[in-house]
Amino acid sequence: MGELKHYTFNFGPQHPAAHGVLRLVVEVEGETVISIDPHIGLLHRATEKLMESKPYNHSIGYMDRLDYVSILPNEHAYVMAIEKLLKIKVPKRAQYIRVMFDEISRILNHLLVLGSTSLDMGALTPWFYTFREREQLMDCYEAVSGARMHANYYRPGGVLRDLPNTMPQYESYAWRSPAETASLNANRQGSLLDYIESFTEQFPERCDEYETLLTENRIWKQRSVGISAIDAQRAIALGFTGPMLRSTGYARDLRVDEPYAVYDELSFNIALGKTGDCYDRYLVRMAEMRESNRIIKQCINWLRKHPGQVIADAPKVVPPSRLSGKENMEEMIHQFKLFTEGYCLPEGEVYTCVEQPKGEFGVYLVSDGANKPYRVKIRAAGYPHLSALEALCKGHMISDVVVILASMDIVFGEIDR
Amino acid sequence: MKELQLQMDAFRKSNTPVVKNGFMIVKYNQLVDWSRGNSVWPLSFGLACCGVELMHFIASRYDFDRFGFALRASPRQADVMIVAGTLCNKMAPALRACYDMMAEPKYVVSMGSCANGGGYYHYAYSVVRGCDRIVPVDLYIPGCPPNAEALMYGMIQLQNKIQGCEYMQVKIPSGYGDD
Amino acid sequence: MQKPTKIALRNYLKSRPGIQLTENIDMPVIVCPVEDLIALMTWLYQNDQVQANCCVDICVVDHLHYGLDEWVGVDATSTGFERARDALSKRDIHEKPGRYEVVYHLLSTSMNQRYRIKVKLDEPSDSVPSVTKIWPNANWYEREAFDLFGIRFSGHPGLRRILTDYGFVGYPMRKDFPLEGQVEMRYDAKLERCLYEPVQVQNRVSVPKVIRQDDQRHTMSEV
Repeated sequence: MGELKHYTFNFGPQHPAAHGVLRLVVEVEGETVISIDPHIGLLHRATEKLMESKPYNHSIGYMDRLDYVSILPNEHAYVMAIEKLLKIKVPKRAQYIRVMFDEISRILNHLLVLGSTSLDMGALTPWFYTFREREQLMDCYEAVSGARMHANYYRPGGVLRDLPNTMPQYESYAWRSPAETASLNANRQGSLLDYIESFTEQFPERCDEYETLLTENRIWKQRSVGISAIDAQRAIALGFTGPMLRSTGYARDLRVDEPYAVYDELSFNIALGKTGDCYDRYLVRMAEMRESNRIIKQCINWLRKHPGQVIADAPKVVPPSRLSGKENMEEMIHQFKLFTEGYCLPEGEVYTCVEQPKGEFGVYLVSDGANKPYRVKIRAAGYPHLSALEALCKGHMISDVVVILASMDIVFGEIDR
Repeated sequence: MKELQLQMDAFRKSNTPVVKNGFMIVKYNQLVDWSRGNSVWPLSFGLACCGVELMHFIASRYDFDRFGFALRASPRQADVMIVAGTLCNKMAPALRACYDMMAEPKYVVSMGSCANGGGYYHYAYSVVRGCDRIVPVDLYIPGCPPNAEALMYGMIQLQNKIQGCEYMQVKIPSGYGDD
Repeated sequence: MQKPTKIALRNYLKSRPGIQLTENIDMPVIVCPVEDLIALMTWLYQNDQVQANCCVDICVVDHLHYGLDEWVGVDATSTGFERARDALSKRDIHEKPGRYEVVYHLLSTSMNQRYRIKVKLDEPSDSVPSVTKIWPNANWYEREAFDLFGIRFSGHPGLRRILTDYGFVGYPMRKDFPLEGQVEMRYDAKLERCLYEPVQVQNRVSVPKVIRQDDQRHTMSEV
């Protein structure tokens, strides 16, 4: 009998469970994982270098494309960095709008994770369910910014524009009767806020639907309970943040610990797990969605009562309104100057971070007083998570690798940058 | 019988399928292309942001199964590769390997401005400035990302392309047809 | 920063004149010579009043072009855009001492306090001691710093490239590395493989880098 050797195989970069472009070199003994070497950088787009070559306002779009599943919180960290260096005060209404859209993004993100995790484990139905809700939330993005995904909505000093008063409507055509159209348009009669409110009312029911499918599902539990359990001490040492850390039972949430925007005025709970395994991560995400739903409701109530401006009065940074630009020469010059040269930031450095759905998303901005950032370092939440893959997978089976990967919620836009 | 003869003549004149009285007269190759166009199997391959819109095209609202698409995980079973996202230098050989693995006839759809020509990341040192430098592209869909409807329109255009090309050129044995 | 932490930090730094502590708008900044780095990091990690138990981020800043603008001459605009603009990459810029700066962002989850530690380097070959023994997740951050800037970390378990392509030449995030790189990829049908060729595009700088000291800041403080 020949000598038994460990078997090394390659996973990805084209693999449906790799969540993008990830290559793993896995060493196994039988079916047990001995070591894993993730090869990342297959989506390295040099975002940081490109941002150094562009004025500040041109780079907000790069933030969307970093973590392309939770789009607006990324922008939030970046505009917060600029605001902190310029010392701009953001109007309250803009802050509430930002918080509302951050939470919408959180739901969007967790829905995608939920759907794709179940897809990786062989359950197709939850994926269709979650994408049904994602479509509705993407309509909110579209109504407010014009784009379904890459919204580019936050600006230093506030947000691009106020929430719209009307929602786009479905239209009848040969295959859709007027009655069907009317039922599709039922919650689109009012403003965007009405539309989001109708969503928040039905969303807890939807969450129950997902839970019926998954929480007590035998296969789901067999695949995830006890897989890659980790304690809080180790999780912090490995740099975990977000649901990955909270699933271990350690209560750290930047929305509470380092409150930004208006999170200190809102009431919500932090979801915590116990064992830090894949199943707890799923439960934490489910609970976070329900909490986000609560936050959105509070934001809607506040926003209804407090109309006002949504961008700061900072003429050197914020472009003038369209109308005044047409009537007033100085405003037009301002507009021209802002969009050709941009604005200069005072010399200095700043680190801002937000609680993005995946964890702590930070932007370290160094300015030398120019109209372009001197150096931007993006602290991606998924980067330390993926670097801990070997620590999490060691001793588990090959089939668990896919589940662990899915439960980590990695997106290569932000990891590879 | 006379009706059928008339239909046959109409078909001969126009060389396009003629539907009448519950019968359709069509060339064999056209029939093959029609069925090929309606069972296009794309490779599930999301590179970046466009992959999310691709998923939305597949999922509930847009439901791409109704066009006869079915996602395949293995390139050996796929007909179409949708390059959904930024193609980077490190990824390019792998993408080409996937393309080489696909069986002929194969098609490539370049989705989004990054795949079309680098887009927002055109000047970056690590990005391939258009996936047509690596694989031959049949169809370009603009947008960053193109929304699911744009992708749907693009894929219908691809179906039209497949159905119009008479790729197979099958020889029909004598005795089965007169031309 | 809480008071006991501040006192502990002050006391520690009193005996070490090489290390400087300043307060930035967001967190305290400690500038440290390379020799003292491991001692300082270990102290920050172990001290009961600091407890910096999480390494949030490690990055490098290249100071080669710091404070240099591309728009030269106030009155040169009448002769056209291109002449007034002076691409930084074409200028002869001398290397400064302390060109590279390794920046560590630390966090104490129990104290809810962040710290920024900076180490200045003259040459990238001056190796920095690795902190992977203290914080295991520093592994990938140091690999990334090595990949993008060429900083050597001594004592790192496996210092190899992480983000750039297999066989990449150069350190792309350095300021003297062109944005569009040196090579670009193409598939060659004859050789039946992807190959690298010298790059043909050139980044068209439509907005030059300018540094304005005049109006911006004064108006900002009024708002």
